[in-house]
Amino acid sequence: MQDYPELRTLEKFREVNREFPKNRFILEHKAQGKKVFGWLCTYVPEEVIHAAGILPVRIVGYSEETDLTEGTAYMHVNNCSFSRSCLELGLKGEYSFLDGVVGGSTCDGARRLFDLWRHYIGTPFHHVLTVPRKYTERAHRLYYEEVEEFTRHLEEFIGRKVTDEALLASIGLYNETRHLLSQLYGLRRRDNPPITGAETMDVLNASFRMPREVFNSWLRELLAEIEDRRRDVSGKYRARLMLIGSVLTNTDFIRSIERQGGIVVTDELCTSTRYWTDPVVLKDGLSPLEAIARRYLGNFPCARMFPSEERFNRIVEFAREYRVDGVVSQIVRYCVPYCHDLPLLTKRLREVNVPVLALDVEYGSSGSGQIATRVQAFLEMLEARNGIASKR
Amino acid sequence: MVLPAKDKVADIVRACRLIRRMTEAQPGHLKSRLLYYDMLIRYFTRILRARENGDFIAAHSVFFPAEVLYAMGLVPMHTESTTWMISLFPGECADMISEGASLGLAAEICTPHRGLAGAYSLRALPRPDVMLWSNMVCDNTAKCGELIMEVCGCPGFFLDRPFKNSEREIAYLAGELEDMVRFLEERSGRRMDWENLAATVARMDEQIELVRRINELRKHVPTPFSPLGFLELVSVDYLFPGQPEAIEYLKTLYGELEERVAQGRGALPEERFRLMTLFIPPMYLMNFLEDISRQYGAVSVIEPFFTYWGEGRLDPSRPLESVARKSYLIPEMRMYGPLDSRAIDGIVKCARDYRVDGAIYYADVGCRHSCAVIKLFKDVLNEMDIPVLVLDCDVVDPTATSKEEMKAKFEQFFELLEDR
Ligand code: SF4
Ligand code: SF4
Repeated sequence: MQDYPELRTLEKFREVNREFPKNRFILEHKAQGKKVFGWLCTYVPEEVIHAAGILPVRIVGYSEETDLTEGTAYMHVNNCSFSRSCLELGLKGEYSFLDGVVGGSTCDGARRLFDLWRHYIGTPFHHVLTVPRKYTERAHRLYYEEVEEFTRHLEEFIGRKVTDEALLASIGLYNETRHLLSQLYGLRRRDNPPITGAETMDVLNASFRMPREVFNSWLRELLAEIEDRRRDVSGKYRARLMLIGSVLTNTDFIRSIERQGGIVVTDELCTSTRYWTDPVVLKDGLSPLEAIARRYLGNFPCARMFPSEERFNRIVEFAREYRVDGVVSQIVRYCVPYCHDLPLLTKRLREVNVPVLALDVEYGSSGSGQIATRVQAFLEMLEARNGIASKR
Repeated sequence: MVLPAKDKVADIVRACRLIRRMTEAQPGHLKSRLLYYDMLIRYFTRILRARENGDFIAAHSVFFPAEVLYAMGLVPMHTESTTWMISLFPGECADMISEGASLGLAAEICTPHRGLAGAYSLRALPRPDVMLWSNMVCDNTAKCGELIMEVCGCPGFFLDRPFKNSEREIAYLAGELEDMVRFLEERSGRRMDWENLAATVARMDEQIELVRRINELRKHVPTPFSPLGFLELVSVDYLFPGQPEAIEYLKTLYGELEERVAQGRGALPEERFRLMTLFIPPMYLMNFLEDISRQYGAVSVIEPFFTYWGEGRLDPSRPLESVARKSYLIPEMRMYGPLDSRAIDGIVKCARDYRVDGAIYYADVGCRHSCAVIKLFKDVLNEMDIPVLVLDCDVVDPTATSKEEMKAKFEQFFELLEDR
């Protein structure tokens, strides 16, 4: 039983998530004759879609464990359950409202998802961006040209220009989200965090499923509500944890860890930190589109990027900033980029005295059963190791 | 048990020598086969003797442009091919694969890569002086290098190869290649020989043309090339890009096949089923698959993702750009690049031009990329009334397949083809 009050605003975010994919915001937007685009990966520049007057929503799969009969039949069982889950929803018509799909050449799962989506679901507009794996100036130039080409393609589709003014307005709006989310994460740095990891994931999930303008105002409301109530969710925690690895949207997974006394204070997931950390920086001499492209390629890296050291450094930095006792790595089966990084990353975290629990999961996992047992053992080990006095 | 260094490569060389001797002893053997084994022996002996010869070993992932390495006088070591060859000849892979797992590599990582990291860790392969890798195909190749660098204690270079094949992406890759040349010059102390590279590119162009011409001959009914001979073409391309040995081998093979065509002779006494092979068959089952082919008169006539080159020529006067361009012509790009209607049309054309009766899809459990499109290609081919047999397997790990089961599936499939 939780011993802290529920947050009113949080309930609104949860409602948006419960109804997704066909939630009321999306349906209202469509009813006004406006377009909705799905994006497949955090390397797709959302601001560009938004500046074109289109509602960008993130394509995700079922936020629960489900039999992926169709997804598996179309994609083979050795592809990550995230991409199979997305495909299954698509094949079942749950994303029938989409006017376009935009992907990137990011990982095998996402690329194949895009290929099969284009072939079998056939959304009217589709575009895949080449995303370099390096951060060199040459890579930035190439990625910018890719973003530019995508913008021209989009303009052709909507029949009008995406102006610099519109891009600047979108940058402002999205940067505000990033700023507000960083405030929310700032609260989690406290010794007694006022919001749980699972609750934070509720907020993040909603961020890519509703109009950004409304999301920002609700998030401001949430931040005020949290401060007003002087909330403290840390009650009986046994360890501060950081969650890393593949894409994750099921809040139950985090909730099950937190129920066992591991409070998730930060993370490194493409549905959270890696989604919001770095703002678009408008510097002299950069056009809005250039600034957007620079941010997306240089953002908190995914395991696909080289050198991996960049990602490892940011994880280590977060672990220190949020004073975590341990890291829980959850890797979706067949998520090869993250699987490959794990041996080196584990070593790196061990060097700074942060133990890692490596979990092999299916996307949508609720964290029950064997996973819960392993989390339990990990927490016990952390308690014993750090001498964290259990507040139970 | 930790094997002594270099053991696995020495095993490959020994096995190749033995097979070469056996081939030579067979009446009516093809000269090209002997040349092929000579090439393998040369390739792996060079790696084996690199230390004593003062050579510089550049280990590299699949589809990496080894032309550049040859032109610099380095000794290339194709990592995935090395694991395939270990599985094909000595057949001893279990120790490498389990060592890869104990390094922390998950079971989902394909065995060529898990086994590779394991083999280096066991010191069963000569330690490379540099590790070079790219994202030419899949995430496994894109991610393999850093762990190998760590295990071998060597420096490395990641070649970032863009996904699509626009001119700006080709230019990007050429830029990456320039950086790589500089890196290799610094590390190896050897200079790039640009004239040599231009000559290598010219030969590579000829090599591609020769494969195209060989494929033209394979269109004949009966087809003149042996049922699984395409694996030789693939290895030659992987191990000897733009090398005089490759040209000699391909010219010899072309002559032999041409002669067979002129005589109206096929590779098999009776050709009953013309097959399209999708993905690489398990290496350790080669003899078994050869037997099946002969028993049922089944022959692979085309492999859209392994031998069927894209259109375009290479220009030796622009060597690095040509090397970059080649990476978008390679047959594998039909599968690993954007799967648009052009790529799909290529398969349809192949099936039609080569008069294919059926297709075999080796569904390698570790290879997500190829497995993800099984249904798509099945649908495309079924629409042309071409049945597809999907065989679950692992390219190097024998424990993933049962021969009996596979045989039963082949029999059923051939019955189905027969009935039509
Ligand atoms: S990053 Fe991993 S989980 Fe996400 S789409 Fe790629 S392979 Fe799947
Ligand atoms: S088998 Fe597949 S996953 Fe492994 S290296 Fe080859 S293409 Fe990549």
